[in-house]
Amino acid sequence: MIFVRLEPESEDLTLPKPNTVLQLLNRLQLGRTQALVIRSGELLTPDRRIHDGDRIEIRKVTSAG
Amino acid sequence: MKCRRCKALAAVALPSHHAGFCPDCFRKFFLKQVETAIRRKKMILPEDKILVALSGGKDSLALMEALTRLGYQPVGLHVDLKIPGSSDVARKTVEDFCSRRGLRLIVADMEEWGLPIPEVRRKVKRPICSICGKIKRHAFNRIALEQGFDVLATGHNLDDETARLFANTLRWDEAHMAGQSPSLPAENGFARKIKPLYRLSEFETAAFAFLTDIEYTTAPCPYSRGASFTAHKALLAQLEARSPGSKISFYEGFLERGRPAFQNRDSDKEQLAPCQYCGMPTSAGACGVCRVRQLLQQS
Repeated sequence: MIFVRLEPESEDLTLPKPNTVLQLLNRLQLGRTQALVIRSGELLTPDRRIHDGDRIEIRKVTSAG
Repeated sequence: MKCRRCKALAAVALPSHHAGFCPDCFRKFFLKQVETAIRRKKMILPEDKILVALSGGKDSLALMEALTRLGYQPVGLHVDLKIPGSSDVARKTVEDFCSRRGLRLIVADMEEWGLPIPEVRRKVKRPICSICGKIKRHAFNRIALEQGFDVLATGHNLDDETARLFANTLRWDEAHMAGQSPSLPAENGFARKIKPLYRLSEFETAAFAFLTDIEYTTAPCPYSRGASFTAHKALLAQLEARSPGSKISFYEGFLERGRPAFQNRDSDKEQLAPCQYCGMPTSAGACGVCRVRQLLQQS
């Protein structure tokens, strides 16, 4: 399992581990450039591997209004 | 994925450029894009005094950071709209950003101007987003002119510009298409306006903000839910995902080949004169913002 924090909604999710960042974005129905994906203070590109137990922040980039 | 420039591990992937960048090379790439925009559109002259509108969001703060890193000495301007649940956070974010970096900040408090937005919303029976936008543009222009700034810079990015162009195109709004540009000269009582981030997407400004330790606010305005602008951005994001590079091609193509055609047809410009109360340009005796202020004072 992995732990995901969605921003700006401040919503916490626990999800089965995807293999890559791209799979995670697909599961959340987000395009590659619709959100920053952050792990331990580091930005991840879509090809990076996800590990079991990872804590990941997904920061959507579209400003409202 | 490896960085295109130095081959280190990439942190930012940009499908529209078929490239990935490490943090250091991405910051250089971002600044280069801003520098190119300024040079190509002749946005800033060496001696210009620059005022930057700061909302507290990622784009305006990223713009301020980029201009500072490029060697300019911009001054920030924040318009405190007095909207409960969002304005306090936005103002503190901007004040903290400027204070941490030693940048000069001007705050225009809409309560002091007799134009607190919640009150405007109660009294004026028109869509609040359009009036609020008008009040902000009025404050930006007035402060720029009254305090001797040569140019007013805003953090509008490629997504903002393409969403606006898309909306204008859906309506075939010739006047707005003639006037849409990342660089508008000073004329008729309006300060020169520039958008140095017009070549960069929201994703790129968000990545730059993250990689330069900018703390920005993401609190949406409680009055702007369901704005059509956001829906247009979502449509364009789908298009960009299927065909990377569509947005910049749509916008650059418009600037090169579309806008000149609309400019040539734009012969019926309104005659503007200074507002009798504030001196800002208007086609009526009193400008729209002064009329709103009077309405609030009367009730």
